[in-house]
Amino acid sequence: MGIASAALALSATACGKSSNDTGSSSSSSSASGALKAAIAYDIGGRGDQSFNDAAYAGLKKAEDELGVKGAEAEPSQGESDADKVARLTSLARAGNNPVIGVGFSYAPAIEKVAKSFPKTTFGLIDDTSKTGPNIANLVFNEEQGSYLAGVAAAKASKTGTVGFIGGVEVPLIKKFEAGFTQGVKDTNPKAKVLTQYLTQPPNFDGFSKPDLGKAAAEGQLDKGADVIYAAAGLAGAGAIEATATAGKWAIGVDSDQYKQAGLAAYKDHILTSVTKDVSGSVYNVIKSVKDGKPQTGEIRYGLATNGVGLADSNPAYTKMTDLIAAVDKAKKEIVDGKITVKTAP
Amino acid sequence: MMKIDKDKLIIGAAGPVLALVTSFVLTVLVLLATGLDPIEPIRLMIENAGYSDVQVLIVNYTAILYLAALAVSIGFRMNLFNIGVEGQYRLAAMVSALVGAAVDLPGPLHILVIVLVAVATGALWAGIAGILKTTRGVSEVVSTIMLNAITTSLVAWLILPKNFGVQPAGSNDLTTGQIPESGWFPGIDMGEGGQIYGFTFVALALGVVYWFVINRTRFGFDLRATGESESAAQASGVDAKKMIITAMLISGGLAGLAGMPILLGESHTYSLAFPVGVGFTAITVALLGRNHPVGILFAALLFAFLEKASSSLDIAGYPKEITQIMQGIIVIAVVVSYELVRRYGLRRQQQKVGEELAAGGAIKTDKEVTA
Amino acid sequence: MHALIGENGAGKSTLMKILYGMQKPDEGTIAVDGEQVTFSTPGDAIARGIGMVHQHFMLADNLTVLENVVLGGEKLHGIGAKARKKIKEISDAYGLGVRPDALVEDLGVAERQRVEILKVLYRGAKILILDEPTAVLVPQEVDALFDNLRELKSEGLTVIFISHKLGEVLKVADDITVIRRGTTVGTADPKTATTKQLAELMVGSELPSPETRESTVTDVPMLQVEGLTLTEAGAAAAVPLTTAAPPDPSGAVGLQEVGEGRKLLDDISLTIHKGEILGIAGVEGNGQTELIEALMGMNSPNAGVITLDGEDISAVSVRRRREGGIGYIPEDRHRHGLLLEAPLWENRILGHVTEAPNSKRGILDPKAARKDTERIVREYDVRTPGIDVTAASLSGGNQQKLIVGREMSHNPKFLIAAHPTRGVDVGAQAQIWDAIRDARRAGLAVLLISADLDELIGLSDTLRVMYRGKLVADADPATITPEQLGSAMTGAATGRLEGTEEQSEDGDAR
Repeated sequence: MGIASAALALSATACGKSSNDTGSSSSSSSASGALKAAIAYDIGGRGDQSFNDAAYAGLKKAEDELGVKGAEAEPSQGESDADKVARLTSLARAGNNPVIGVGFSYAPAIEKVAKSFPKTTFGLIDDTSKTGPNIANLVFNEEQGSYLAGVAAAKASKTGTVGFIGGVEVPLIKKFEAGFTQGVKDTNPKAKVLTQYLTQPPNFDGFSKPDLGKAAAEGQLDKGADVIYAAAGLAGAGAIEATATAGKWAIGVDSDQYKQAGLAAYKDHILTSVTKDVSGSVYNVIKSVKDGKPQTGEIRYGLATNGVGLADSNPAYTKMTDLIAAVDKAKKEIVDGKITVKTAP
Repeated sequence: MMKIDKDKLIIGAAGPVLALVTSFVLTVLVLLATGLDPIEPIRLMIENAGYSDVQVLIVNYTAILYLAALAVSIGFRMNLFNIGVEGQYRLAAMVSALVGAAVDLPGPLHILVIVLVAVATGALWAGIAGILKTTRGVSEVVSTIMLNAITTSLVAWLILPKNFGVQPAGSNDLTTGQIPESGWFPGIDMGEGGQIYGFTFVALALGVVYWFVINRTRFGFDLRATGESESAAQASGVDAKKMIITAMLISGGLAGLAGMPILLGESHTYSLAFPVGVGFTAITVALLGRNHPVGILFAALLFAFLEKASSSLDIAGYPKEITQIMQGIIVIAVVVSYELVRRYGLRRQQQKVGEELAAGGAIKTDKEVTA
Repeated sequence: MHALIGENGAGKSTLMKILYGMQKPDEGTIAVDGEQVTFSTPGDAIARGIGMVHQHFMLADNLTVLENVVLGGEKLHGIGAKARKKIKEISDAYGLGVRPDALVEDLGVAERQRVEILKVLYRGAKILILDEPTAVLVPQEVDALFDNLRELKSEGLTVIFISHKLGEVLKVADDITVIRRGTTVGTADPKTATTKQLAELMVGSELPSPETRESTVTDVPMLQVEGLTLTEAGAAAAVPLTTAAPPDPSGAVGLQEVGEGRKLLDDISLTIHKGEILGIAGVEGNGQTELIEALMGMNSPNAGVITLDGEDISAVSVRRRREGGIGYIPEDRHRHGLLLEAPLWENRILGHVTEAPNSKRGILDPKAARKDTERIVREYDVRTPGIDVTAASLSGGNQQKLIVGREMSHNPKFLIAAHPTRGVDVGAQAQIWDAIRDARRAGLAVLLISADLDELIGLSDTLRVMYRGKLVADADPATITPEQLGSAMTGAATGRLEGTEEQSEDGDAR
């Protein structure tokens, strides 16, 4: 019985059409009309207040400023590379160019699909392991921004103890940790850095549950930390809340969290934020395709290009001249190559 | 006799059908309530299922769910709730990927080693829950949930580059290293559609083995008896403790196999992107399939269809979460409808036996049984 | 007081369930006080003044009598002083002698039954349904119960009394209805009817008698038990139940605390010879269950040696013991003898899965098992339309016949028969007795445990009395009376019991 139905499934497969066939919906419209761009999100999808939302912001900007028609697709839980291949393929077939995969998990899928669609540009965020003539690897020097945060933290700390909270223990977040720790130690060799990760993969709660960030921050505060840097997406908001409530300094991540509406109550205690211009990188890829000069290869966003950096919206931060001087000096040295920031702790 | 068999079949099918219809209707209502066209997404999903690449995805995912659901159902068959299939599956995939990448053996042998390591790892992990239950009386529900959490940490630790993990240059992913080609399980190339994992057929074969073991062996009888009435099974001579441990070992072993289709057929490595959640979906699949290998196959197929055919709904502007709603409702509907149908069936049979006896059916027993 | 009698499976319980609103009738009417009523839930029935005392008590052990009585009826008289007063009132009015503050777990079976009756009266019942109320009582307690019931009757209450113990029915009822196969087959006046007439109405045939005619006892020991001792800790090792022994009705103190807990079995020694039936009398919960489980290997005794046919089986598993020739008719067939939701032919395999014809080399042989099930159904007159129906759909008596047939099919050397005819109709009873007697003649050794004293006395070659885990007395079934046995069962008499009258002349037809 089981075999019979499997055979049935197989024969159905054999004679069915592929969704990549021309018969597939709207694939023929690629040639005409406005440029269409698509992003395929990482787990969490739009609304994660972090990574995916930043990518969406870039797409939105492109829609508004370039008149691009945007498309989005979200992954589902428990999917494999094959599902990602299918998703990217259907986006590419539908005439979207560029197609941007948000997150390193798209790397193997993009490598495959890019070969089938040589005329489409594929943006791949956070990965340079898979390359191709029509793949733009959008990567960031998170460690450089984090280094500056480390310098700022060491300068702002009175107790000599600072905290780092990572959302999920993955290599990407380790880069944040490495840069931050190095920045602290280079500034104040005697300073102590408390490090904590909220969850381990594949449990990505550490990027989404503020209560986890709050508990971790409270623990570090108890141990004497007076500056806490949380690279934990939405969970970081909890860390900021706890730190601000205790009257200590918090350092935000990804976007300028001083300006974030949800954190307005704590903004006076947000010393600065390490910005990572995901939205800009998405916008840039789309723009490059529209301009007829599609990006390809490794597109690196570092301190030099302001792809990463420190926000200075908090007036209290700009008043700390000693700190600002140290940060600026460090930034210059990194840009000039005098300081090499480690990417792994 | 034939008549009763037919009845049994109808009653057996009534549960799933009732559950599916209920969940379908409720899903449509949810869509209506949110102001969306309730028919279009379903039409789109059916259309999607007509494409060969989606079909390949469905078939491949069915194989994975099927193995994991068999693992769950062997526990269910004797009233053991192995929630830890997810953890057993992940740990087994990880460890077998490590071993697979570390050794280099000729083709079939290489695959065999990987598969055996996966089975052993899954069985061992589930066996811990079995031993805890038999020696300390710890509920397997609690211990397997705990083991799932431990799996997460253990895998995260093992896969660190300073331990056994490999971080490919320029990637933010962590892997266990690539398994050499001799450890790849050949698939069936469907051209445009992609590849059907070769391990799919192993999964189906295991379904047949499962049926045989459960229904045609002493061991299977003991297992079923334990599930139907532990006290009666014990009085009949079943060693409950041995049975619990054996069932957990088999369940874990099957759970370990659930990672093989992807590992041997596609990814050839365990990475941070390795699919998760399979073990939990499998619980629903096993429930819906009534712990019967054929039922589970259909249930797995249905869930694979819901999952894969809906994956591009959001591109068309519909939330693909509707399939999650549907799956969630199925779980509840399944539990309710099975109990209803079970009670109805039991009552109906009692009534029938009464009627037939009153009509003098019993006297004709001899004739009846030779029919 | 109206008695309802009939074989098991005749429809007594179904009728009662309908009267109590637990089941809905397909057609027909019920009238209370001349008024036609329909009940869809027990609540409706209670509102109409109908109360039911179930065969299995529905009391919460760890609550007091007061709490048990008000539970679910809080609205009637509250839960405090008013409720206590009401309980006292009812208890005194009918001479129930219930103490409101006693913990139910400290009460004996008879007392629990009175609490159940009180519970029903408390809810304002005018019609009382009692389902086999005497099944769990010793003769002295039965008499006390009947006194209570007469009291109720004199207060103007109606009592419906379900039983198949004809002697009791004649003693207490004012009117008798006999049902068979779901219909009323007759009514009788207890003043004129005899047990024989009633029984014939019930089964439509001659009456069976449990008496064994000639002795077949040999001097070859089949089962020997030496110094078997089991404490609570050991019993707990076995996963499923072990009923706790009820406390001493006489109120005597001094539970033996030995190391790991109370002794459930205390230095039991006995020998059963080939062809011998050894009967064990005792109030339920005095260690009989534990003794059976120890013999089957389902619990782990602290001390003692069990020898079967010259082979020490003390450390052998349940399955090996069964293969070695122990047959087992469990006291609770639903818990220990059947897979209720499995078809009959699978139930035929249960307990003998490793033996022919059920399997060969680890692989089941459904064909042979089915064929043999058909044989059992035929030979033991199991009334069923087929072997594919579930065990649950058979009546109790037919389930029991299937079990007896199954156990006998493997030619046991030693049979444990615990309440082999409990809940079984008169017709089936005779068949089961015949089966046991036939096997005995062929050299079977039987351990018979029964609450039916007539069955015990009639069937056994040797009688022992079990009280609080000990074998306290023995008796000659040829001379002992149920009354004497009954008093020994409450611990009042020990040692060798000598019958004063010749043969029991009790009114019970069984």
